[in-house]
Amino acid sequence: MTRDELKEHILKKYDGLLTPLETGVFDLMCEVKPANLTKVARMLYDDEQLKFDFLNNIAGVDTGEQFEVVYSLSSISNNLRLDFKLVLSYDQAVIDSVKDIWTAADWHEREIWELYGIDINNHDNLKRFLLPDDWDQGYPMRKDWDAPDFVRMPEL
Amino acid sequence: MPEQRTVTLNMGPQHPSTHGVLRVVVELDGERVVKATPVIGYLHTGIEKTMESKLYYQALVCTDRMDYLAPMSNNLGYCLAVEKLMDIEVPEKVQWARVCLAELTRIKSHLVWLGTHSIDLGAMSMLLYTFRDRESIIDVYEACGGQRMMTSYIRIGGLAHELPVDFDKKVRRAVKQVNEGLADYENLLTNNEIFINRTRNVAVISAEDAIAWSLSGPMLRGSGVKHDLRKANPYSGYENFDFEIAYGEKGDAYDRYLLRLKEIRQSLRIINQALDGMPEGPYRARVPGVVLPPKEDVLYKMESMIFHFKIITEGFKAPVGSVYQAIESPKGEFGFLITGDGSNRPRRVRVRPPSFINLASLPRLVEGGMFSDVVCAIGSIDIVLGEVDR
Repeated sequence: MTRDELKEHILKKYDGLLTPLETGVFDLMCEVKPANLTKVARMLYDDEQLKFDFLNNIAGVDTGEQFEVVYSLSSISNNLRLDFKLVLSYDQAVIDSVKDIWTAADWHEREIWELYGIDINNHDNLKRFLLPDDWDQGYPMRKDWDAPDFVRMPEL
Repeated sequence: MPEQRTVTLNMGPQHPSTHGVLRVVVELDGERVVKATPVIGYLHTGIEKTMESKLYYQALVCTDRMDYLAPMSNNLGYCLAVEKLMDIEVPEKVQWARVCLAELTRIKSHLVWLGTHSIDLGAMSMLLYTFRDRESIIDVYEACGGQRMMTSYIRIGGLAHELPVDFDKKVRRAVKQVNEGLADYENLLTNNEIFINRTRNVAVISAEDAIAWSLSGPMLRGSGVKHDLRKANPYSGYENFDFEIAYGEKGDAYDRYLLRLKEIRQSLRIINQALDGMPEGPYRARVPGVVLPPKEDVLYKMESMIFHFKIITEGFKAPVGSVYQAIESPKGEFGFLITGDGSNRPRRVRVRPPSFINLASLPRLVEGGMFSDVVCAIGSIDIVLGEVDR
């Protein structure tokens, strides 16, 4: 299945749930509403034609105005790739866990919770692991966080 | 007071068999592992955050320092991601040289793994043999990038500078050395009864579980899943090379050992093809304002000098958008998600570290087994803590 066929399939079958974004030459990127996350994830996993059984990556992104959470999926049997993202506002930074669908989401979600302060629903293992246990200086991956001794280079 | 049946034992972070500063809290019932919890973060240096404040060129040096046993693979992954973001096409010679270097890196990483894993299991002499052969590969690194470990030789748009004049000779010497060494390793380990007893049916993971846990590299293929990004999603011209994917059957530690040896043989095959067919051409793409012009031009041509100055001082501006590019590094799928925001610094660089994801499956591998097998399981995952913690 080529990129365009995949886009076609998504438009037909996932109307309103997965919205392909205009990304120019880049890989296909879709947007999902945070409320639909687990539903879409389950559909993508069960879909016989796609069968996205391999979770490559989950990445938190802070754009300076909002959070984005980017999911990268692969299908090993069909050799497909798909990225989709959720957009979250700062005051409603909560997502549902997809650990039930892809076990590997466990540590990815823990990392996002720890470094971005995005809350994860239905995750039973939210414990600090990259930062020290007694860390109390906020969420280091957020854009408004600077290390105490960090000096930014002046813009040229 | 209820009777307590289990003992909680702390392993690491300073423990020779944990390959760095990994701590595992193990709950034991006699000799059986009831629960194992990996504790990481002792090496967390915020590399992803650091990369956000660097120019695209500067961020490259951070990649060497993650998986320090496979610096060239990391460079390659990062450069491919940035090249995808900037839509740069590199000359054919660069692709071939990169493949050659990436495969040398795979061998080098597997050799360190083989040596340390065998020491964990009591085969003390292996490390001497593998480090002897690894030396010849480090010689190639030194000739190329001037450094033995943190090479940063593969750059955005090409290579740091021309391949050394004796590149061919040095690589062929390394190939010969490793090829001879392989016979030694097999003699010492493959039919060694102690080694087989320690690794057969230990740390077994089924193909379904391996996919559910998103394992990659030898951990995935050891369970019989024929998935290798070099074949499934070829990058950097891997489609031009003739090689086979090695895979195991049972998914135990012994299968992963055999598989890594097979991978070394396949890598040697690829390197030989790359050397024989190495095309002529420039060592860097010509993209004014984005890729550094060749040093010879900078010294004599006005425009090149200006571009050189501008790229070094203010970098280049990347478009808005995000790309995910993954390569098959020695440890597994090593991916970069790079988000550009229209400025000269990335908005976000997310690394998909294979050791990190593979390590997450450690409880699954050891729970229910014997305590002494924990060491074997950790070894067979092949982790580098610099990459796990970043």
